[in-house]
Amino acid sequence: MAINDSTTIDPSIIDYLRVNAEQEIQVSEKLQQFVTTLNRHVSAAQGFLSRIHSTPAAKFPLLLKQVEENAIRPSTETVKELAAFASNYPYYKYNNRWTRGIQGIINTILLTAWLGGMGTDSRPGELGRLLTLEEVGQILQVPVNLKDRDAFHITIEEYVLSLTDITEELSRLSMNSVTMGDIELTVRISGFIKDLFSGFQLLNLKNDILRRKVDAVKYHVKKVEDVIYDLSLRGLIPKPDSTTMDTDA
Amino acid sequence: MVGVKRDHQGNKKEEKSKEIARNAYTSIFEGFRDELDEHHDRRQRIGKVSRDVTALSKKIIFALQRVRKLNQPVPERLAAEIQGRVKEIKELLNTIEADVQGINRYRYPLICLEEFVEAVSFMHYLQHQTLITPAQSEDELKVNIPFTHADYVYGIFDLTGEMMRFAISVTALTGSMPGDSKGRTILTDLQEVSSMLQILPPLSSKNWSKKVDVMVEQVKKVERVGYGVTVRGNERPKGWMPDMNEAVGGREEHEESAD
Repeated sequence: MAINDSTTIDPSIIDYLRVNAEQEIQVSEKLQQFVTTLNRHVSAAQGFLSRIHSTPAAKFPLLLKQVEENAIRPSTETVKELAAFASNYPYYKYNNRWTRGIQGIINTILLTAWLGGMGTDSRPGELGRLLTLEEVGQILQVPVNLKDRDAFHITIEEYVLSLTDITEELSRLSMNSVTMGDIELTVRISGFIKDLFSGFQLLNLKNDILRRKVDAVKYHVKKVEDVIYDLSLRGLIPKPDSTTMDTDA
Repeated sequence: MVGVKRDHQGNKKEEKSKEIARNAYTSIFEGFRDELDEHHDRRQRIGKVSRDVTALSKKIIFALQRVRKLNQPVPERLAAEIQGRVKEIKELLNTIEADVQGINRYRYPLICLEEFVEAVSFMHYLQHQTLITPAQSEDELKVNIPFTHADYVYGIFDLTGEMMRFAISVTALTGSMPGDSKGRTILTDLQEVSSMLQILPPLSSKNWSKKVDVMVEQVKKVERVGYGVTVRGNERPKGWMPDMNEAVGGREEHEESAD
């Protein structure tokens, strides 16, 4: 450093400041690369998934396979690398950098699984399956809700925020599936969103992003309710079968 | 559907789970609720302590602005007051040590440490006319909460404001720029510290460039005072105050009021 020999400032201070600042910049730049890659996978995934609104449920498996192979699998790789890198530094110092991207990928995984994808050899995919936070962690091969050590993980907030994204997407699908003649799917979605909504109501939310997102869920519920109302008015809802979905209309 | 009743802090006032029929996800969300409650409670405890510690640190700074000489121990009465406040700060921070350990160190804003660094670095400067090191600033407190790089840097940014106030008022009262016997003055120190901070690569957090701008303005003010006493020095009556800064001491707001 070009500072002349000072009696006011101990040289160790300057070293301390420089080393820390340089490290922070390096970490930032590296994280930016991961985030860019992650976001690319997320947009691709969401692009593929946007086709659910024009694809009959019978053809979901093929579509979901595409999402898994072209978007979820590569993003899992990215998350793994990101996790390895980020775990070298304080988690909460940098987590705002990637949290949006991570939410995007969780949301993709949750939606894909709910629609019947993300099946494994031991457990085939099935429609209406909500993956838990732990299951998402297993898919991404990262820890979840970590408290006892400072490393990369997925937080409860990230998972819950992602849930509010899938209720939005599914409320849209509830309408489109009627258009495509699949009323059963609409009924299924209605039950699921209502169950999630009562779940959200159990949370004591502060005035933060989580609250704003959860507040929006009631509009998703309303949207689906309106569709169900239209259907029931016209007697279009199939007789409730043995499932526990509440189709009280 | 009835909304959740909350008190002023936003805590729920009543349980309403009994109204809700249980479904497949109820217990998952109940788990989340407990975790989030724990997190919010922790945030609240930390926020409260942080505000109190900030207020105490500011009081230390006000007391130090009543010092009139560099390179001297702080006058006894002020020193006693300051010791008392440091003790209070320590006790307050002790109550949240567990809340900010490990992964939680960066999770919650703990701005008060910046403020504390400002206070102790100012005290250190007045006594020794040197810049406090990160280790020394932690030693003043000895709590089990590590200071971060940012706590230190932003504390030092704020120190420059205190140095400016001290320099201007003491110069006005004594007719010369405070310094040591070898001609090193608070002005040259201020210039050095500000150059050091300007040379550093900027941190991404907060508004670094604004901090730098404010600091440079502060240095310029003291430079004008330094020029004034050099050229016109004794022509002015003692106690004359240049009209460039609000009263030393009684400021309520923080850095924003510096210019």
